[in-house]
Amino acid sequence: MSQRQLAGRVGLSQPEIARIESGVVAPSFERVVELVRACGFDLAVRLVPLDEDAYSLAEQNMSRSPDERLAGLLAGLELYEQGVGRGGSDD
Amino acid sequence: MTDLRPAEIFAVLDRHEVRYVLIGGLAAILYGAPHVTTDVDIVPEEDRRNLMRLSEALTELKARIRVAGEPDGVPFGHDGVSLAKVRIWNLVTDLGNLDISFVPSGTRGYDDLRRDLRTVTVNGIDVPVASLADVIRSKEAADRERDRAILPVLREMLERERGDRRGDRVRGGREGPRARG
Repeated sequence: MSQRQLAGRVGLSQPEIARIESGVVAPSFERVVELVRACGFDLAVRLVPLDEDAYSLAEQNMSRSPDERLAGLLAGLELYEQGVGRGGSDD
Repeated sequence: MTDLRPAEIFAVLDRHEVRYVLIGGLAAILYGAPHVTTDVDIVPEEDRRNLMRLSEALTELKARIRVAGEPDGVPFGHDGVSLAKVRIWNLVTDLGNLDISFVPSGTRGYDDLRRDLRTVTVNGIDVPVASLADVIRSKEAADRERDRAILPVLREMLERERGDRRGDRVRGGREGPRARG
């Protein structure tokens, strides 16, 4: 669907849609729901536990180089394989 | 389980000039996600010649099919034609687990992911990595329990990355994620 088509469905202009897509404008929650429905979907929102450690670690990692992040993974894998990893993913 | 050596897997793919996009948990980790993954997930271009190069890379990696109860995997023959016939390959190699998917959940495959890919240099090798937004899109579509657990952090990282980019544009600076704070 083009920006112009979506704009027509929700009563906005194409430039307004472009600004939302590019992140220049942060739409209200109600506007997001409206846009999602105009695209033929519905928005499911659910609560999940807050993992403050993960945010803190991500903050640290983002200041590191990719090589350092990879080294962190390999160190984490060693712990993971010893059964004390802090959670993981298989993909 | 074979130790995961992602940088060496990237080097083999690079040496054989395989065109692919890295996605999944390792892509997220290269952006800074604080999680653990045990495999490398790639989305190869489906072009026959590219899959022939991928097949040669798999031969060098001594790739076998990953099967429960068979820690060393099951050997299999492959070429550019046979690789295209199966949409998902879960493999074990001498350098760790390698998963190949032509159309990961929530995406339309290589051409879709390559549009926004980022080149990340790992151990001197340029690795084509799916954008963080595409990694999130794929994990949202897969909707597995372990994906749901890490998605809030990935979304936060994406917001920070976008915020930094907006800041860079205002300052006339460079593109790309940077550290905050």
